[in-house]
Amino acid sequence: MIELKNVTRRFGQAVAVDSINLTIETGEVCVLVGSSGCGKSTTLRMINRLLPHSAGEILVDGEDITTMNPEKLRLNMGYVIQGTGLFPHWTVARNIAMVPALLKWPQARIDERVHELLTLLDLDPAIHAGKFPQQLSGGQAQRVGVARALAANPNILLMDEPFGALDAITRENLQQELLRIQQQVRKTTVFVTHDIDEALKLATRIAVMDQGRIIQHDTPENILRRPASEFVENLVGKQDRGLKLMSLRRVGDLMQRYPQPVNPEPGVEGVQEDDSLRLALSVMLWQENGELPVFNGEGAKTGVITRERILQAGA
Amino acid sequence: MSIARPKSALSSPNRVVPVLGLLALVLVWVLDLGAILPNRIVPGTGHGLLSAVGWVGATLVTGALIGCLLLSVLPLRSRYLTLLILVSVSLALLPLLLDVFAARHLPENSPYARSSIGSGFWCLLFLLSLMLIEIFGRLGSGRGFQLIVLAGICGSWVWLFQGAGLESLSLVREFNAQPDKFEQALWTHLALALGAVTISAGLAFVLALQMIRSVAWRRPVLGVVSFLQTIPSLAVFGLLIAPLSALTEAFPVLQTLGIRGIGWAPAMLALVAYSLLPMVRNTYVALTEVPESLADAGRGMGMNERQLFFKLKLPLALPVIVEGVRITTIQAIGLTAVAALIGAGGFGSFIFQGLGQAAMDLVLLGALPTIALALLADALLTTLAVSLRPKSATV
Repeated sequence: MIELKNVTRRFGQAVAVDSINLTIETGEVCVLVGSSGCGKSTTLRMINRLLPHSAGEILVDGEDITTMNPEKLRLNMGYVIQGTGLFPHWTVARNIAMVPALLKWPQARIDERVHELLTLLDLDPAIHAGKFPQQLSGGQAQRVGVARALAANPNILLMDEPFGALDAITRENLQQELLRIQQQVRKTTVFVTHDIDEALKLATRIAVMDQGRIIQHDTPENILRRPASEFVENLVGKQDRGLKLMSLRRVGDLMQRYPQPVNPEPGVEGVQEDDSLRLALSVMLWQENGELPVFNGEGAKTGVITRERILQAGA
Repeated sequence: MSIARPKSALSSPNRVVPVLGLLALVLVWVLDLGAILPNRIVPGTGHGLLSAVGWVGATLVTGALIGCLLLSVLPLRSRYLTLLILVSVSLALLPLLLDVFAARHLPENSPYARSSIGSGFWCLLFLLSLMLIEIFGRLGSGRGFQLIVLAGICGSWVWLFQGAGLESLSLVREFNAQPDKFEQALWTHLALALGAVTISAGLAFVLALQMIRSVAWRRPVLGVVSFLQTIPSLAVFGLLIAPLSALTEAFPVLQTLGIRGIGWAPAMLALVAYSLLPMVRNTYVALTEVPESLADAGRGMGMNERQLFFKLKLPLALPVIVEGVRITTIQAIGLTAVAALIGAGGFGSFIFQGLGQAAMDLVLLGALPTIALALLADALLTTLAVSLRPKSATV
């Protein structure tokens, strides 16, 4: 658990972060969202003491971070940044092994962990472990960045616009990947972004920041339904809210389920249980179809979803 | 596709080698290959290619050059490998020309007569070397392979020069007149140049670290080392004589250490002063140019400043620092020759003696090893810098 109590950060006369209070529960993904210069990165960098706070208190698991050794504090916090920050003179394997090596793990354990993480992030260890960062694509490099942050199994993950420099498709893939990994490892995550769609997709709770203050701290659904101010309303897109809410909900929650999964007829297009209602509706509109088959992860057909159900449920 | 490209590259004619070959062919026939001198000072009589080495020699030289010409324009598959063999063998056997020349023309029973190398020979050597560089570039061979070929050529030269046939060569005569002095000059030259580089490298490292640590040091340090660089080298050598003499008179202890107004002490001081600018600048720039995002990532992962320096900044800066050492070393080897003027010794002493006695071959005896040392230092340090660079983006 991370608690920020009346935390302020000044740069000379300017106040970058203005007496904010924020509690991030263990295992949740808190996304700090706002336009550039709103203080979201500053907030993140104060949590691992890359920036000292000017006033207030920051507690990690109840302990004041100013009483802790900064290096020790950071070794227990995975850190992912926008440009990946991979060391160009180290191989992928050595980059991932950075924190375990600092913690002086035995080499065999390090090798095993690197192998495990590369596999977790969908990179083939045989191909990628010996490469240098310049030989990777942007998406692969950021996967390695995430693997490096997870290497020593820290309790906390800090991510500073990690996918900001990637193209839309790669970003989408990595967001999915992060959700999948988060389901497995359940890290307390603080994620900074300026992209509200990314925030809605990844967050358990979103903190909207503006001019050094937190305007609203709530679940994605509540941020969409009950924006605290005009600023938040504009940020989430006033007119677009219906569809955005739809993208928060899964097909699996609204489908008509068969008692038993059946084998699908070949060549039929449908949606996955984990897909959003928004995607299902879009496919229906495109296919001019009132009903779509729903498949589970193994490819078995588990039921159908109808246009009526979606529209009835509404936003 | 991947096979088609190198094949077409190999079969397309080369333009550089034929131009160099043609030039060599013309120059070697027009200019004198060598000269016979009755004694050390008197200018001798020149001999062209045909007169110098006879029909057989002239045919071989012409044949080799025409061979280079043809090999570079004919449609061939392994053009550059054949060219490499031809050119490097020609280079390796080049001293044989002088050998034959001396055997044919040196008058017997005249102990002072000597043969001297003519401009034709120098041109041939220079143009063949250029061809070798071009061929190396086209072959895309590694530095290790290049060094092996060069070592082979140098080895052949050393072996040929040790033979009896070239004893009459004026350069060899000058060497044989004072082999001990040559060896001593070599060690003095190396000690002065490398000593100055080592001292200034250490000093520059400390200064660069201090400049990074505190902003107040930055401008004064860069200002002073830039100023030192702008003083003409002879002036520095001259300027140091008076203060050092005064110093040793005040503290006689220094005299027992061999420190005087002239000699190695002022030379070393001046060389260090000159070496500081490239060294400080490269070290400082290399260490500060490490991207802040990388340091930020390292720090954020839990590295302390010490670990950041040794694991990130120094390894990334090292190729640039070595580049600074390379520039400085070449510069110091050249400047050490000038330091002979204030009695520091080294190869410069041959150059200035030779100039004083109007004996050009003695000048060459000082100049050629200086050039060779500089080239050797360049090759070694470039190889080192390349091996330190992080792997390139080739998949």
